[in-house]
Amino acid sequence: MTLSDQDELLLSAFIDGELSSIEAFQFENRLRVEPGLAAALEARRALRTALRADRADDIPSPQLQRRIAGLARKPSSTGSWQSMAASFVLGLLLAGGIAWGVIEHGSRQDVTDQVVSAHIRGLMSSAPTDVLSSERHTIKPWFNGRINFAPVVADLSAEGYTLVGARIDVVDLSPAATLVYSRGKHIISVTEMPGAEAPASSTSRNREQGYLLFAWSDGRMRYWAVSDAAPEELERFVKLFQAASSTS
Amino acid sequence: MWYDTTEQARFAEVFTPHLVDAFRLAHWLAGSRADAEDIVQEASMRAFKGISGFAGGDSRAWVLTIVRNTSYSWLAKNRPSALVLAGDLDEQAQSRLDQPDPDPTPEARLIAQVEAETVRKAMAALPAPFREVLVLREIHELSYKAIADIAGLPIGTVMSRIARARRLMLASLGGSAA
Repeated sequence: MTLSDQDELLLSAFIDGELSSIEAFQFENRLRVEPGLAAALEARRALRTALRADRADDIPSPQLQRRIAGLARKPSSTGSWQSMAASFVLGLLLAGGIAWGVIEHGSRQDVTDQVVSAHIRGLMSSAPTDVLSSERHTIKPWFNGRINFAPVVADLSAEGYTLVGARIDVVDLSPAATLVYSRGKHIISVTEMPGAEAPASSTSRNREQGYLLFAWSDGRMRYWAVSDAAPEELERFVKLFQAASSTS
Repeated sequence: MWYDTTEQARFAEVFTPHLVDAFRLAHWLAGSRADAEDIVQEASMRAFKGISGFAGGDSRAWVLTIVRNTSYSWLAKNRPSALVLAGDLDEQAQSRLDQPDPDPTPEARLIAQVEAETVRKAMAALPAPFREVLVLREIHELSYKAIADIAGLPIGTVMSRIARARRLMLASLGGSAA
């Protein structure tokens, strides 16, 4: 079948959310009774998914990020601005104005800031995850080819923590796997990357920018859990996650 | 080189949070990562020099407008043959548009199996006026109004170009996957 030009426009405006509620209502009624129109809609949705498929990989190189950070750096007499600029750039990317305050204070932006910034950015973003799924069997393969390690994807639905999706964050210029869980109103981000800086199985607790952060390592991977949930709540989650990851 | 530190602070606030968006737009418009890096580098210099002209408001739209304009001037200078700006559509694209849609339900299934590289190639083959509106809509998830502001187009033109761009992409991907 061939769509009329008018229907082609309506279809596009409909999936882009640009129709008024009356127009959308009328269009939805037509979709129910016109299979050709519904199939054309499906094809356009598939196109959207295909266009967004490699978004997580589509980021500027660390070199470019450093050069742009160079423009944004504050002149300093300490001579350490090069390294500062390099480590600040991702924070700037992820947190914008928030990270700028860190530069002003001249303190080194560390990994926990970056993880918390990524969490905040996820909360503010219209698409907090790059892949939306509650199925760990969807999430695990999604990471393949995007990162070069296999992150732990724990299924904690029986304990009341729903897996919402996953995304790739960048921590210290390296890709990190982030899982997003929800429980009630609270969102918990778990960021994972290879490394063992923290002593194996020790868990440290921090409060950063009003968010609670737990960091631990199992000797092979480093983990950070960030949330605005109550401390005991997040601690319970971390224990469950650790238990699930040691058995998987 | 000496710059006013308040301008640097402003640049850091306004430009850097949108670096990923800037890169993605340049990458889709230029079709190559390496070219996109050059374009974003040049756009960042323009943004830096013009930062005092940013009147506040939507910093993302401001940055994307600069990146869009820089992409076109950079492509015109460095890749003139790749830049299809004039005329609406070439003959091949026009003939694809005149074809009736293939049976669309299998079409959605076909599209779902297309490789990312094939999608990039099909986008690269679109004339720039169609490509840019589709990228701003699907990748940057902007409203028609915001796209109209960035691309300097009437909103109705944005709407019809997005619809046609989708039609062209489906014709191209449906054909290549079959």
